[in-house]
Amino acid sequence: MAVCAAIVGKDNSPKYFACTNPDEELNFQYKVLSSLDVVEEKLNAANKGSDMRELYLGILYSLETHKIYGYVTNTKIKFIIVAESTNTALRDNEIRSMFRKLHSLRA
Amino acid sequence: MQPNYVALYNEQFELPPELCAKPLALVGVSGLDTVNNAIHKTIWENLSSNRRVERSPVLFKLISNAQEFPVVKPKRNSYEWYIPKGILKKNWLRKHLSDIPSVIVIFYDLDWNDLQWNEKIIECASRVQSLRAALEGRNTRLVVVLLQNTPPLPAGEDSLSSERAIALCASCEISAKSLFVLPHGDHLQGYIVRLESAFYDLAQNYYHMEAKHVENHKEYLNKNTHQYLFVRHQFKMGFLNELKQDIHTAHKHYTYAYNKLLEIRIVDTNAMEIQTVAGFINYKLCKLMFTLNLPRDAISQFKAHAERFKSRIGFKELAFEHYAWLCKQYSIFGDIFDEAVRLGLPAVQTQHPGVYYQQAAQYAIQRKKSCLELCNNVTAYPTAPDPLEGLDHLEFYGQRPWRPGKLNMDNPDPQLEKKGIQALQFLEKQVAHSNVIISLYGLAVSQYKTYKCPRTRRYLVVQMAEEYFEFRDYGKALTLFTHMIWDYRLECWWSILSHILQKALQCAFLTATVQDYVTISLELLGKSITTTTEYKAQVYENLIRVLKKQIPNPVLNLPSYDVHTSLNLWKKVFESESIHLTVDMNSVVSCIETKARFLKDKYEADQNVVLEVFIRSTCPFLLRFTRLSVTINTSEYSSEFAVNETKFNNPNLTFESNEVKKFIVEFLPDSETTGKDMQINSINLYLGIPKECCVELSFNGNLAVSTGGIQEFSRFRRKSASHVDFESILPQSSALVVPRKSKLNVNYDHKQPALVGEWFNIIITVSNEDIAPISSVNVLVNLSEGEMDGSTEFCLNTAAKSELLPLNIGLPDLKVGESKSINLYIRGHKAGQRTVVFKVSYVLESDRSGTSISEDTLHVPFVKPFEINTKFSNTLFEDISKFYVDEEFVVTPIINCVSPWPIVIENTSLDFMPPVESIDESVHSQVKGLILNDKESGAEVFLAKVKRNCESPVNVGQYTIKWKRENGLSATSQLMIPGFEIEWIPLDIKLDLPAFGLLHTPLLVTYTLYNRSHQLLQLEVTVEGGDAFMFAGYKQIPISILPESFKTLDYNLYPVVAGNIVLPKIMITVPENNTEGPSLRQNQVNALLDRALPTHLFIMPQVKGSPEFPKAIQDENLLKVV
Repeated sequence: MAVCAAIVGKDNSPKYFACTNPDEELNFQYKVLSSLDVVEEKLNAANKGSDMRELYLGILYSLETHKIYGYVTNTKIKFIIVAESTNTALRDNEIRSMFRKLHSLRA
Repeated sequence: MQPNYVALYNEQFELPPELCAKPLALVGVSGLDTVNNAIHKTIWENLSSNRRVERSPVLFKLISNAQEFPVVKPKRNSYEWYIPKGILKKNWLRKHLSDIPSVIVIFYDLDWNDLQWNEKIIECASRVQSLRAALEGRNTRLVVVLLQNTPPLPAGEDSLSSERAIALCASCEISAKSLFVLPHGDHLQGYIVRLESAFYDLAQNYYHMEAKHVENHKEYLNKNTHQYLFVRHQFKMGFLNELKQDIHTAHKHYTYAYNKLLEIRIVDTNAMEIQTVAGFINYKLCKLMFTLNLPRDAISQFKAHAERFKSRIGFKELAFEHYAWLCKQYSIFGDIFDEAVRLGLPAVQTQHPGVYYQQAAQYAIQRKKSCLELCNNVTAYPTAPDPLEGLDHLEFYGQRPWRPGKLNMDNPDPQLEKKGIQALQFLEKQVAHSNVIISLYGLAVSQYKTYKCPRTRRYLVVQMAEEYFEFRDYGKALTLFTHMIWDYRLECWWSILSHILQKALQCAFLTATVQDYVTISLELLGKSITTTTEYKAQVYENLIRVLKKQIPNPVLNLPSYDVHTSLNLWKKVFESESIHLTVDMNSVVSCIETKARFLKDKYEADQNVVLEVFIRSTCPFLLRFTRLSVTINTSEYSSEFAVNETKFNNPNLTFESNEVKKFIVEFLPDSETTGKDMQINSINLYLGIPKECCVELSFNGNLAVSTGGIQEFSRFRRKSASHVDFESILPQSSALVVPRKSKLNVNYDHKQPALVGEWFNIIITVSNEDIAPISSVNVLVNLSEGEMDGSTEFCLNTAAKSELLPLNIGLPDLKVGESKSINLYIRGHKAGQRTVVFKVSYVLESDRSGTSISEDTLHVPFVKPFEINTKFSNTLFEDISKFYVDEEFVVTPIINCVSPWPIVIENTSLDFMPPVESIDESVHSQVKGLILNDKESGAEVFLAKVKRNCESPVNVGQYTIKWKRENGLSATSQLMIPGFEIEWIPLDIKLDLPAFGLLHTPLLVTYTLYNRSHQLLQLEVTVEGGDAFMFAGYKQIPISILPESFKTLDYNLYPVVAGNIVLPKIMITVPENNTEGPSLRQNQVNALLDRALPTHLFIMPQVKGSPEFPKAIQDENLLKVV
């Protein structure tokens, strides 16, 4: 299970933030914000190349304790999910479906 | 405790320098006297300096004659009873790096033809022998280099040298391959480079043999007791291969060594040693893999390494040691990675050295934490016996000084163990952890900056600032915090911002930085800050205290010592007379928001400029300001306008929570601002009491950062209770000051349309309807853009020259009600519309002496007054299309009036141009004084002839018409009348014919034929009579006309019928086959006859009775004929 999920707006401001442990929220906010660096870079690279069809960005950061995944809608709304590194049961596909659910919930 | 323990303790976490040094083959140099001998010195310098990449990887070392080398250990035949005391000996690496040369070069000054050859050869041999003795048991290669003055001869030609070389080798007991000759004349550098590569070959060979030698031990080892030796030997082989520069093999051996090390069971007593050695081998492995361009392998090796040892904390009491080791591992890997990047390895955003520095910093923090946990109670170094005795000369890497060389099976002495731990804890307590953490953060920050991670970098800087805070360097922490706030604010991460602000506020308090303290407080009181109301209340209370020059209450959980210091600082700050702070609020999302707008985007110079200022306080508590002012900027100066300045402590400047207030600022713009932009530079709010503690908050009136939270939804939010909707106010920060509107009445009197070519009169009447006399009245006349093609002239006086544009007409001063007219004339040379722009400016003679301007445009259409058509005809008034030399023709210019106004033709004239000339000597205009209305025409005729032929059409002449419109000014129009081409024929014919004939009365006609050529003209003339005439004369006659003369043919005609009668037809034929005479074609003759001769004659009937002649016939000439 993910430990933290966030929706970040086009201007990179947080729109929604939730994590399982409220005490850790600040830390997660920092982490999510840091991962936006990678998102921005990936979007820049994608802009230069072909059009973006794949919304799922894959793993953004693989830290000692956590893995951070990203997903960007066509309107540049970013979804970020943080999972624990120890949670090896979590497969790429599940993360994808989690994002898709999040996306449809928001829509 | 020995004083150097702290340094030694810190050193044990570092990699030893001998491990990090780049392994280079060591070559000893003997026999060079670098002090006294200049040649030796040059050679040594050439050897040792200027070691660039292309030189062989060799390190030269000077060896004196009395050099001692490490003693060779006695050779062991069996390892059966040998139990190793540790893994890696501390002296081994250094020994091979810098003590035992692979090759020793003995330099000796000796020429082949030296006179004392025999003596010298003995001395040289003894030198070789003494070194050989010193190296007893080592495999170091000995090489002799003879330094010679004379350049060498080609091999084989010098029998003396080869002979003597053999002798020398024999006496020195070296092979011929180990003898070199170095002539120290020219090209020294070249020789040395070649020598060097020869030494390098030997050195490689030596290290290869050494590695082989170590490998040979393997068969003696047994797996149970010699696990350490397996590691040691593989490590040695790896290192020797590195010295040999064979990094592939070195990598292989280091990998073996690492794997062997992992096979060793880790227990408390050897944990430290194994970790240390694992770190060493991992370092070597990673470094080699980066060199071998295997960065992915290096990273995965390191990750596996870190993962493997991460959980091996070892002694719980010494957990900090483990974290220090981990921290070091990461930072070292970061260094290696960084070095590889600098040598050209491309790194990516998610995989770069910064990642490792960051993790290193995390472990450094853990180390600090565990140190705080474990070492807090340790206050003194343990009493004797000193457990750390011998810390500086341990035999093996990573062993505990209180039990060196002990095997892992031994049970440690618990008492000693406890003391050792206590000693280490005591030393750990001396470590400046924060410095380590901060410098690691610094490294990480610069890496993240390089790899385009601004947010991560910011996060690291915040962490760095927090570390500074813990380090009690509050000033630095405050600086870093305040620098980082901006971007979080921009991207609206309010909870992060709140957290940073709270920390920053503490820093500001502890350093007594009033400015930052107030700024941060104001921001903390804002609505987007997510803190508890209690906290905000506290902040608010403290802010009020500061404004009253009272020391704010410290926030909880601050170190009491620092609080005390800061209280003193605050006291000092407040001791000064008055505090005046200016806070730039534009970059701050505070609890006060302002917006300002001009009500109009243009103000006239004499109007009051009205500004609206909106202020909203989102502070949950009452805020009271003492003053509000607005600064307005123009390009030249800025001025400040206060609001409600007179009433001190005006209640209007008190804001409840979420209250929005509107203020109006009114002022008259300065006359100098006319035509310029005014800008709202700032809105200034003053907090606190002037002369005590006053804070000026400066806003620019445009919110740089949206505070509305989720912007998209703001429309759906319910309107706030306050009557002003703050969100929907659009700031207008600039306005233009335009000149005062003119109050003059300007009248333009003119009769459109204007005619092309005439001076068109416009009467401008300016009357002063303003409130005061005016002066400096000016009318500026100009044409609109795009019409300045020179086809329009302006003047004030038609007699004078036309004026240049723009035309400036000055008018005298005008009293109220007075008016003044001026005449302006415009002449256009082309039809079409002209747009004339009039700019009337004047200065009102009143206290506000600004210039007023009005602008008018006048569209003046220009039309042609008339069109002129010209007709050409022959003397019979038949249209012609060609002129003939010396034949008269008629020019008829017709003036067709197209002007809407009647036109008076004052005079006309036609000036013929050669070759056309007038027949009449004096010509008068036949249309003079004619008045033409629209669509009327006037025509006149001129007789002309041409003198010579011309193949292209000629201009007949210039037709000049002087005209005017009724009551207007005379104008002159001229135009060129184009004609036809001119032909010349040698023949001309004229017929003398009376105006009319009388029935039954004979009349005489004469045909005159002219020959214009210089040749004889021969023609055949035939005359055919008709029914209407009887005639007498030649019916058919050949005639010859002499050059330039004429011939006449007379005929008597007797008309038999009355009326307009066809004349007898004369026909002239050019004889065929006539080669003489001028060229004359029959068709030319026919055409001539057609145009020159009338065909009919009017024959009057005989008078019957006595009729009365009409007046027209009562002409003398006529009567004569009768």
